[in-house]
Parts: sequence; structure tokens; C-alpha cells
Amino acid sequence: MLELDDELMQRFQKGDEDAFNLLARRHQQSLINFIARFTGDKDNAEDLAQETFIRMYKAADRYKPGRAQFKTWMYLIAKRLCINEIRNRGRRDRFRVDNIAINDSASGANDEQVDIIATAPADAAFQPEVAVERKELRNAIQKAIAELPEQYRFPLILRDIQGLSYDEIGKILELRSGTTKSRINRARIMLKDKLKPFMELL
Amino acid sequence: MNCLQAEENFSAHLEDALDYQSLQRFESHIAECPTCQREYARFSESVKASQQLPQIEPSPYFTSTLKQRLAEEQRGTLSFWQRLLYIFNMPKWALSGVMVLLLITGTTTFLYHNDWFNGEINPSNEQISTSRSGLSSGSPSLNNQFLPRASGSSNLSNTISGQPMQQHYTLKRVSYSTVSTGGGL
Repeated sequence: MLELDDELMQRFQKGDEDAFNLLARRHQQSLINFIARFTGDKDNAEDLAQETFIRMYKAADRYKPGRAQFKTWMYLIAKRLCINEIRNRGRRDRFRVDNIAINDSASGANDEQVDIIATAPADAAFQPEVAVERKELRNAIQKAIAELPEQYRFPLILRDIQGLSYDEIGKILELRSGTTKSRINRARIMLKDKLKPFMELL
Repeated sequence: MNCLQAEENFSAHLEDALDYQSLQRFESHIAECPTCQREYARFSESVKASQQLPQIEPSPYFTSTLKQRLAEEQRGTLSFWQRLLYIFNMPKWALSGVMVLLLITGTTTFLYHNDWFNGEINPSNEQISTSRSGLSSGSPSLNNQFLPRASGSSNLSNTISGQPMQQHYTLKRVSYSTVSTGGGL
């Protein structure tokens, strides 16, 4: 039977290092996805994911099982790191996603997004034109998500890509239930409007 | 229900979260508004497409790098008591070895510096050893130089004249020489 996150955390708090390694292995993929989708940078996402786990490791003694879920806590830390990353990046090169958008409109190519798409599993019935269309659509979705304002991007990624419940999203973003729902709905409408030129590919 | 209200309910309808009355109002509006009908269709398509984005796989080195960074972190943040606990978590043979080494070092240091071992407290030992060695009898000048005078008055005069430390030192020197000479011969 799969051991619960809280049980593993309790084991780790008693000194079992393997329990934390197990937790990290269990959540690493969803964490990397969350960070990569938010920042639009897969390589940096791994660094930030590791930083998240290190912070959790260091603050493990403050974790109270039952009061907050491990997953909620993890996303809360990751969210703060993402915000810091975006702010720092903004100081460096005025938000990378803007640069992606400029590059994309100018040349039709987007290296950052291609990196993310390249990790998609291969299709069994491979058709080049379908694959190109799919890639184009995924690029467009990624770009549209990356262009959303921060306050809408977080809830959309957590809901539609990470598959979290409204309650969990509310805890991570420190929002009330009604605000969480309306932000997700608003984010989806904004995404739909951004994807209008690609509607025939959907 | 107008178009704006219908739009506010897009997500709730898509996730079957509308109550019966809201559902009735929403569906009747959609049925008679082609714009909302089209927008809702686009809305659900784009939500479906974003939900189907492929998962990004972590690099093969992610876990090993993380473990390495955590180990570095652990070494850097151990408190005194955690370090002490870490020592006691060592393998038993290693811990036993360290203990034996500490015991030997401790005992040797104790015996080397202990005054009783050097024969200072029991002057009779010192006298016996010097008489046995023959070194003191063979070299009166050395005896005179290092040994305290036999008469009580001279001892008293030494103490009064403020030289007890010198006498103490002398006794130690004699006991060293006699013990080592006796053993060697």
C-alpha cells in the first residue's frame, strides 16, 4: 500500500532520510511541470524544483502533519521561488516570456517551448503534418499561458495542468474559494481568447 | 441570464458544478445565443487542450543531484547535538575503535601527569629507589644538588625563605632519575 505523504514526513522528522527521498521522487515530476509551465524554462525549472525540496528539507521540523498537506506546502514554496525568479529575471532581461513572444512572432520558432514539447511521448501512428500541427498548438498554448498575468497563470496551471482541487489551490494561493473559482474561470477565458487564431487546430 | 453572466458560469458548467436552477438558466441562454454557444465551445476546447499538454520528464540526473545537494545541506546545518548523534550512529566496530583509542590516550596522559605515580606523595618510595640505584651514592655532588637536606631545620628554612617550589621540583627530578635508572639496570 502506498504510504501517505504525511506518514513519510513523520518518518523523515524522526530521522529517516529515505522517507524524504521517496517524497521527492514522488512529487518531482509535478513540481518540475508546475515551475516549467509558469516560468517557461525547463532547464531552470529543475534547479528551482531542487531548491524547493532543499527548503522543505531544511524546514521539515516546522511541518505539522494534518494541518497542511505536503503537496500544498510544496507548491506554496515553489510559487514563492517562481515569483522571485520572475522578478530577478525581469531585472535581468525584462521577463523572458516577453522575449519568447517577440522571437516567436518574428521567426515562428521558440526554443524554450520546443524544449518542453520535445519531452512529449512519441506518437505511435506518426504523421509528420499532424505532429507539426500538434507541436504548433502546444507551443501556442504554452505561450498563451506564459503571457497570462501572474495572478491568473498560477491558478490556471494548478487547476488544468497540475489537476489540483479548488480547495488546494485556494490554500496555495491564499485565496478564498469564490476568488479562486472566478480567477480560474477568468484565466480560462483569457486563454481561449489568446488561442483564437489556433482554433482550427484544436 | 445575460451573456456576461453566462460567461461567468463557463467553468462551473464544464465541471458540472452548477446547481439545478443555474444550470437551467445557463442552458436556456446558450440555446438561444449563438455567440455564447460559439464562445463556450471554444472555451471547452482550449481547456481540454491545456489539460492535455504533455508532462515534462525530469532529467536522469535530477534525483542524484538532489541527493548530493541535500547531503551537502545536511553537513552544513548539523547542530552540535546532531553531530554527536551522528557519531553514535557510526558502525559498532568504528565506535569501539575510537573508544579504545580514547581510553588508551586518556590513561597514558593521566598516569604521566599524576603526581602519585611519580612518587611525590610518598617520600619513602623516593628514598628507597635512590638508595637502590647507587647513582646518588656514587655522585654526592648530584645528591647534594637535587635532594632536600635531611635536617628538619633546613627544610623549615627553605620554606621560610620562600623556596618551596624549588624543593618540589628537586624531588620530582630525583624520582625520575632513580626510577628510570633502576629499571634500565
